[in-house]
Amino acid sequence: MALNVKPTRSELIALKKRIKLSERGYKLLKMKRDGLILEFFKVLAEAKDLKNQLAEKYERAQRMIAIAETVDGSIGVKSAAFSASENPVIDLKSKNIMGVVVPKIESQSVKKSLTNRGYGVLGTSAAIDEAADAFEELVECIILSAELETTMKRLLDEIESTKRRVNALEFKVIPELIEARNFIKMRLDEMEREELFRMKRTKGKSAAKAAKLSAAHAAE
Amino acid sequence: MEIAVIGKKEFVLGFQLAGIKKTYSAENPEKLTETITKVLEDTNVGILVLQSTDLDQIPRRLQVIIENSVKPTIVTIGGQEAGLSLRERIKRSVGVDLWK
Repeated sequence: MALNVKPTRSELIALKKRIKLSERGYKLLKMKRDGLILEFFKVLAEAKDLKNQLAEKYERAQRMIAIAETVDGSIGVKSAAFSASENPVIDLKSKNIMGVVVPKIESQSVKKSLTNRGYGVLGTSAAIDEAADAFEELVECIILSAELETTMKRLLDEIESTKRRVNALEFKVIPELIEARNFIKMRLDEMEREELFRMKRTKGKSAAKAAKLSAAHAAE
Repeated sequence: MEIAVIGKKEFVLGFQLAGIKKTYSAENPEKLTETITKVLEDTNVGILVLQSTDLDQIPRRLQVIIENSVKPTIVTIGGQEAGLSLRERIKRSVGVDLWK
C-alpha cells in the first residue's frame, strides 16, 4: 500500500489515537451486530410459527367460503359481501429495537359480532357467518404477520449495514492504520539510528583531528 | 390506515365478507400489475394482501419493489413459496439459512 503519511512523531501520536478509537468502535459495533442477530432470532421463531398458522387459516377460510358458495350460491355470498360494513382499521405505532424503528400494528374491529357484520341475519345461511368468521380470523393473522414481516425486513437491513461496517473496520480500516503506525515507527527508529551514527562519525573525526594536532604539537 | 387486497375474484370475495373495503379483483397479469402499482401509491394503505401465486405473473421489477417495501407491508398468502424471498434475504444478510 502506498503510505501517504509523514513519518513524524505527532503523526504517530494521532495515528495511535485513531487506532484506539477504531478499535473501540469496532467492539461496540460487533456487540450491536450480535445483539441484533439475537433479536432477529426471536422474531424469526415467532414469524415461522405465524406463517404456518396463516397457511392453516387461509385454507380453512377458503374451505368455508367454498361451502358458503355451495349453500347460498355465489350471488348470495356476493350480496352479503357487498353489504358488509365496518372497515377494519389498523393503527401504526412504532417500537424501538436497538435503534431500529419497527412498526407496532394495532387493529380495531376486525372481529365482529354477528349483528355487526352488516348483512341480514335472516336472509343468509350459517355458512356465510362461518366464512365471515374464518376470514376475520385470517385478517387478524395477516395483520400480525405484517407487523413481524416488516420488523424482520428492518432488522435484516440493519444487520446487513452493521455487518458491513464491522467488516470494513476489521479488515480494512484497522489494518491500514496499524500498517501506517508501523511504518512511522520504523522510519523514526531508522532516523534515530542515522542520527546516532552521524554523531559518532563526527565525534570520531574530531577525535582524529585532535590526535593529529596533539601529535604535531609533540613533534614541535 | 387500511388493508387492501388484490387478487382473483374468489380470493377477494372472502375479504369483502370480513369487511375490507379496498378489495380489487384483477384477472389478468396486466390488470394485476396496474392495480398493484396504483395501490402502492395509496398512502392510506398500510397492509397489502396478495396471493403468492399471483406474484409470479407480475414483472420482476415490481416483485423486487414488493419484496423490499415496508410501507405498505405486503403479505402474501397461500402456497409455500411465500417465505422464499425473505429466506433469500436472511441468507444474504445473516449468512446462514435460518428459515426451516
